[in-house]
Amino acid sequence: MRILVVDDSTTMRRIISNSLRAVGYEDIVEAGDGQQALETLEGVSMMLTDWNMPNMDGLTLVKTVRANPALAGMPIIMVTSEGARDEVMEALAAGVNDYIVKPFTKDVLAEKVKGMLK
Amino acid sequence: MDAKYINPFVVAMVNSLETMLNITPERGTPYLKREGQTQGDISAIIGFAGASVTGSVALSLPTPVALKFYSLMMGEKVYRITNDVQDTVGELANIIAGGAKTELSKEGITFNISIPTVVVGPGHTISHRNDVPVMVIPFEIGKHRFVLEVTMKLE
Repeated sequence: MRILVVDDSTTMRRIISNSLRAVGYEDIVEAGDGQQALETLEGVSMMLTDWNMPNMDGLTLVKTVRANPALAGMPIIMVTSEGARDEVMEALAAGVNDYIVKPFTKDVLAEKVKGMLK
Repeated sequence: MDAKYINPFVVAMVNSLETMLNITPERGTPYLKREGQTQGDISAIIGFAGASVTGSVALSLPTPVALKFYSLMMGEKVYRITNDVQDTVGELANIIAGGAKTELSKEGITFNISIPTVVVGPGHTISHRNDVPVMVIPFEIGKHRFVLEVTMKLE
């Protein structure tokens, strides 16, 4: 099961990837922005994406992915510092399945991912 | 600047460090920044702007604090400010700005935040908007001091 982690921060990509590997998800690919993510989607079963990124932001990425019928059912979690109610609602309307606000604990992240992939 | 606009940044700072690094900094008394005043060896600056507000926030750290934050966040030690340390400080500033944004949105103050810019070098200065005061909020971890600078102009 391949998971795509999208964030312009290498720090955050490593934290997320290491958290997932710690609970048994070994096949993880990473992208630094939405454009890179679109080029990395092959074989991906789930995506975690940041919101604010250069080139293509996470919201545009989610809308682009959801516009592809083949990817319409892929679980997507937005992991972002954007925690205002309007932003959460906008992300959910765009098609994310769940939302994690930074800062987060590794346990919360792992549980959300495990719950979504059950 | 009204304290109610500064507190969200303070709360976000403490919450970020407690959650991501498992440490609680001691907070000092805020003061107004003097022109040209330098703070740390590495700073991450984020601008924000909305319909009724503009401003910026900067997290400025001495080298030992930046290295400690990196080691706590990533679980590995480094001995100088690398690109990875710069990224970590930038991401912390992003999380702090996002947390403050969330709290301020509950007061009806909404804005977008920029991607962080990171500056490295002893003695560097940070210039915010020069027509509004800059609040400096000092924190301490052990014997080391670091600061958050916040400036905000409500239109």
